[in-house]
Amino acid sequence: MYGNTGKIIVVDLTTGKIEIASLPETDYLSYIGGSGLAARYFWERGNFQADPLSAEAMLIFMNGPFAGLKLSGASRSSVAGRSPLTGNWGDSSCGGYFAPELRYAGFDGIVLTGKAEKPSLLVIEDNAVCIESAEDYWGKGIESVNRSLKDKFGKTWRNLIIGPAGENQVKYALILNEAHHAFGRAGFGAVMGSKNLKAIVVKASTKTMTLADPEAFETLRKELNPRIKEALASDVMRVNGTAANLEGGVYSGDVPIRNFTSNFWQEMAESLTGSTLSEKYLTHGGACAYCTIACKRNVRITEGIFAIPDGPGPEYETIVSLGSLIGSMDLAAVCKAGRICNDLGLDTITTGATIAWAMEAFEKGDITAADTDGISLIWGDMETVIDVLIPAIAARTGKLGRLLADGSAAAARRIGKGSSDYTAHAKGLEVPAHDPRGGGHGLALTYAISPRGACHVAFPMLFMEMGACYYPEIGFEYELEPKTDENKAEAAVIAVALGSIENSACFCQFADREITIPEWVALFNTVAGYGWDIDAMMLAGKRVFYLKRLINYRFGRTAADDTLTPRMLEPARDGEPEGIAINLDAMKAAFYRLMEMDPIQGIPTQSALIACGMAEEFEHI
Amino acid sequence: MEYWKNENEPIQAFVKLFEAAMIDDELTSGLKKVNQLILFDYTEDGPNCCFWMDCRGGNLSVGPGKPSEEPDMTMSLSADDAHRSWSNKLNPVMAITRKKIRVKGSAVGLLKLAPKLKKVAEIYAVILKDLGWEDKILK
Repeated sequence: MYGNTGKIIVVDLTTGKIEIASLPETDYLSYIGGSGLAARYFWERGNFQADPLSAEAMLIFMNGPFAGLKLSGASRSSVAGRSPLTGNWGDSSCGGYFAPELRYAGFDGIVLTGKAEKPSLLVIEDNAVCIESAEDYWGKGIESVNRSLKDKFGKTWRNLIIGPAGENQVKYALILNEAHHAFGRAGFGAVMGSKNLKAIVVKASTKTMTLADPEAFETLRKELNPRIKEALASDVMRVNGTAANLEGGVYSGDVPIRNFTSNFWQEMAESLTGSTLSEKYLTHGGACAYCTIACKRNVRITEGIFAIPDGPGPEYETIVSLGSLIGSMDLAAVCKAGRICNDLGLDTITTGATIAWAMEAFEKGDITAADTDGISLIWGDMETVIDVLIPAIAARTGKLGRLLADGSAAAARRIGKGSSDYTAHAKGLEVPAHDPRGGGHGLALTYAISPRGACHVAFPMLFMEMGACYYPEIGFEYELEPKTDENKAEAAVIAVALGSIENSACFCQFADREITIPEWVALFNTVAGYGWDIDAMMLAGKRVFYLKRLINYRFGRTAADDTLTPRMLEPARDGEPEGIAINLDAMKAAFYRLMEMDPIQGIPTQSALIACGMAEEFEHI
Repeated sequence: MEYWKNENEPIQAFVKLFEAAMIDDELTSGLKKVNQLILFDYTEDGPNCCFWMDCRGGNLSVGPGKPSEEPDMTMSLSADDAHRSWSNKLNPVMAITRKKIRVKGSAVGLLKLAPKLKKVAEIYAVILKDLGWEDKILK
């Protein structure tokens, strides 16, 4: 096997049994790697009846075939399984430094089941894998545990750590690498916590990889790295981070405000945009392994009640979710709120969206002081958010902490009074910081049909509607107008295949945009020896999407779940998209037809599955 | 060229556009934040088809031809696409992706202007009208 190692670590935390297992090459050829390969593993061996937070639940970390290569954006990895937040298939992608180290140690992934008797630490040093006690770390924040693990094992050991939120099984708890890079979405930090696993550390003594055609890959790498580095978007993000164009987003109506009740807030645009962050608080940039874009931020705030020492700073999603979405344009407060979420181990997107829902519910009187232990929830009150709400959620303390710790959809179900109408999610996963009414109606479609729920990085539709995609080799020559449904179903057909390829390859979507379709094929062939042409590659992407849909079907999900909440479907009240409605039903119907999916069951037809080489999978549904 | 009779016409219109933009209350602060010397290069439509805009150090100036100093950023495209762009009828991201616009140097400053393209287009329509070129206004 080339590129990939074909080996994974399988751990039963109940018994402490550790196995090194091999995966068949056909699985890689069919499902690529990353979340696609994880879906395949889960399909064959996962327990579909298990509660995501039970010992029987399976948690899968999986690299893509390019992890460890000195290629910009290539060394991300996926975590996957059944999401405790949504009950659906979930996967989440992370950059940072864990994936290459695991690859150099000789593994493509880690599969965890069971529950350790005591807080535990999984230690991987080349081929040696063992479980150690993590009792000293339990209850502590991620920053201090990261420092302790570096002290104990050495600075070059890489780690994945959960915070108190994961230990307390907050359903949107995250997993952090090096206390900075997040497996943010879908709550897999809670799954780790439910297994009493505080952290994983890994160290490899060599950095060797066997590639199918190393010379051809090297030629390609030398072509791609400078192109990715010099791309206009890379340059802009290197200087001002992923929030570099937040101002532009405000003017187009893409940036959500006060729980998606507004699409325009002029004063906020300049207060929260990336250049303001750079001018006021940036100490230095940062990058994931081998990345030349370097969009990461490190910030310090020296004075005021939101002062924080030099450390990880917020990305676009955090800035909006903990800023405009909850009615704040105080960038210092956003930085501190993001830092605390990181340390406690909370996904900032769902945290912000859940607090935003609660603030609106309090304003409407659907939540009262009796539900909040007397705490007032006021738009933009960042002191309460930072000092009271975020710690209460992470600890699951008080009425409010317990109410909000399961996410906005569950909280609204508990409160009732029509409050579900103003949640913002798809399949239980909160909508990220791109409002499809302004960002693009195709994004609404892909939020709705995405197996994991509302996600802007599952598929590149956001980039397609922005105009950043042009792939004539696979028929993507559309000049999409964001605020219409024209050609969106057709574009989504390409987006789901391409997004599935990108996420299974564990590639950064910012770097991806500079890679042509023939170059994608060449990467897979020179690194992993897949022997693909364009059609074979696109078919693999489609297959991954189909398989995740089948998994959701076995969890009881159908096409009826492919929707957005009423709040997301009401026309925008102001800004550029004011008054424009999203025609989701028409886009969905066209998408199902083009994808050969049953419009009731929401899964591919038998003939579509057979055409993808998935006849066997059809037998299981 | 689809919209212009010669290479002087677009430059005349664009320089007047930015002379007006530079005294517009809404656009002045955004232009100052660009803080770069920019060359707009349309020389694919004629050797003198270009203009410069200097937004450095809090001062704003614009002129035809090439600047006397090395620009911080050069944006190359056709004069027709520039007309579409200032009329807010060209998606700049799409144009860059499809190589209709080529950028040399950092575009960090220019992002400050992107949200204001709607306002730029309003002024541009007035300029075209003043020049007696109403027929060039894109609906």
